[in-house]
Amino acid sequence: MRGNRRDVLRSLGAGVAFMAMPAVVRAQGADVIRVGALNPITGSGSPYGSGMQKMILAAAEAVNAAGGAGERKIEIIAEDSQTSPQAAVLAAKKLIEINKVSAILGTWSSGVSLAVAPFAENADVLLMHTSGAPALSTMKVNGKGLFFRFHANNERSGAAFAELCKRRKFTRPATMAFNNASGIGNVDGFRKAWEAGGGKVVESVIYEPNQPSYRSELQKILAANPDVIVTGSYLADTMIILREWFQTGQPVAWAIPGWAVTPELIRAIGPTAAEGIMSVDAISNEDDPAFKTFDAIYQKAMGTSGRSNVYAAECWDMVNCLALAIEAAGGPVNADMLKAKIREVANPPGQQVASFAEGKAALKKGKINYEGASSALDFDATGDVTPTFGAWSVESGKLVMKYKFQA
Amino acid sequence: MTYLALVQNGIAQGLIIGLAALSMTLVFAIARFPNAAAGDMLTFGGYAGLFAFNATGSLLATGLFAIIATALLSLAMYYAVFRRLAGRSSVSLLVASIGIGFMIRAVLGVSFGHGQLVFEIELTRPYIIGGIRVSPLDLKLALSALATLAAAFGILYMSSIGRQMRAVADNSDLARVSGIRSERVMAALWLLVGALTAVAGVMLGMATIVAPEVGWEILLPAFAAAIFGGIGSPIGAVAAGLILGVTQELSTPFVGFTYKIAVSFVVLCTVLVMRPRGLFGKAEAVR
Repeated sequence: MRGNRRDVLRSLGAGVAFMAMPAVVRAQGADVIRVGALNPITGSGSPYGSGMQKMILAAAEAVNAAGGAGERKIEIIAEDSQTSPQAAVLAAKKLIEINKVSAILGTWSSGVSLAVAPFAENADVLLMHTSGAPALSTMKVNGKGLFFRFHANNERSGAAFAELCKRRKFTRPATMAFNNASGIGNVDGFRKAWEAGGGKVVESVIYEPNQPSYRSELQKILAANPDVIVTGSYLADTMIILREWFQTGQPVAWAIPGWAVTPELIRAIGPTAAEGIMSVDAISNEDDPAFKTFDAIYQKAMGTSGRSNVYAAECWDMVNCLALAIEAAGGPVNADMLKAKIREVANPPGQQVASFAEGKAALKKGKINYEGASSALDFDATGDVTPTFGAWSVESGKLVMKYKFQA
Repeated sequence: MTYLALVQNGIAQGLIIGLAALSMTLVFAIARFPNAAAGDMLTFGGYAGLFAFNATGSLLATGLFAIIATALLSLAMYYAVFRRLAGRSSVSLLVASIGIGFMIRAVLGVSFGHGQLVFEIELTRPYIIGGIRVSPLDLKLALSALATLAAAFGILYMSSIGRQMRAVADNSDLARVSGIRSERVMAALWLLVGALTAVAGVMLGMATIVAPEVGWEILLPAFAAAIFGGIGSPIGAVAAGLILGVTQELSTPFVGFTYKIAVSFVVLCTVLVMRPRGLFGKAEAVR
């Protein structure tokens, strides 16, 4: 063990020095508004993260091309949340303390948003997220009202699942949830709505992330003979669960959040196993001009339709909303002012606008109402949007939209 | 009945953990450091297998290609890094292996994306044997794992290079004095380690998914199994993998799914308190 301690100390020292180096220390300038993009580039959210980040950058570019917000350019500083609360907190602290951002956009999973929330609140930084956990809009977490949810609250998605099960006349639902705020929120929302309708949930399981197999969990659920299994799950675990389920040979229907039922899922489990799987998710505002603009840019950046990534549409709207709020505020801004202005530019009444440039022009004349690519983007008192839901079903290997509804 | 099904699930997981633990324990015993890159080598094996599977569609070609590719990667790791660090403290080697693991993961992520990939094997309905559902794929995977283990133990206990490996593991100075060329032994060790992790990676990939993080996530259970089985004991590593897998699954009716991982570690701690050298470890082998 010659020289052991010295070696260890030396390598530790080098490691610490390495970690302490700030990635990029940017010059402070009065003419820019710095905004953090904290998206899930890796981890469970990776199917969506890159698209989200690219749309934040593209929307900022469009804002700057239109002369900036309140005569100031928006500068985006992008970080990877790794879909992990620990990594996200480190990144958020860096964004807040070193980059001095005024808002953090696009945190995806509820675990990440809940972890970042207290730091944002203490620093008076706005947080615009796409998470589902109901807790994010409670007074306890969002006391200052600085957080805005651009995606459906899980209570609402849960109710949408209950609505779907009612329409399809299922009577014995069981639930499987990924052990995090969003997974549990989804099935809890379902249970609440289902039991309010007089129904009963026959069995439920909460499972751990990152397991190589979910067979035992599945056996417990299947033993109760449900006619439908409602999940609060992500893509990777859903893939494993469905593959294992099909190999058990027991027929049952599935109702799964839309973010987990993607073409990759269908390809991974094969069209036979996927046939009839139902999915529910908030849908983009596809008939709106804002969606068309977004879709064209998404198509160019990612090579696929913007319909495949509702979170990217939400991120696009975040930048536009924020920029319009800054524009409406005029001079120097702070968080308190912005949170009021965001509602002012996004909610009715007012002239409907579909882009920043259009909104900027219309603001000169009076009040505006930004209609987003992801939804009509009207925030309620707790900072939640009220999205429209869509229900899909897999038919011959393709996702087919069945109906749209409000829940 | 349900318990039998749980045991079956436990074995399926235990075999994968056992294979990974075996590769770790061999490095422990012979190169004398905990190889934290084992998880990412396993991931690499999964991707290599997937590549061959998509190109040929044959399970045999998949296995062979993964084994060859991962064994070569493993050998390259030895010549590029571990050989140069030979004689340094095991902490230096551990840190180096963590670094290599990060590199492998990053390269896989950049080359194949961070999404989940799968072996597009046609899913089949199970055989029902005595009321227990057994999936044909599971059966094939379990048999391949057993065959791999048999081959590995054959090499370790019945071949000359295996005898040399065990000699180095027992007492490396004595082995050198007896004329065993350590570099050849090391090269053979890393080839074997690569092959074992490749099989574990392909099995894990076929049973579940292939993604850059899968190996990293199985590293901790594999580490635990290697310690549980007695550091440096090949048979111990496999047995411990199976025990951890089965205990974990059998505990679920009592503690639920959230705490099953904790239960397997409680078993691990209990055994280590009563038998600090692990299940099959020799007291003097632990340094």
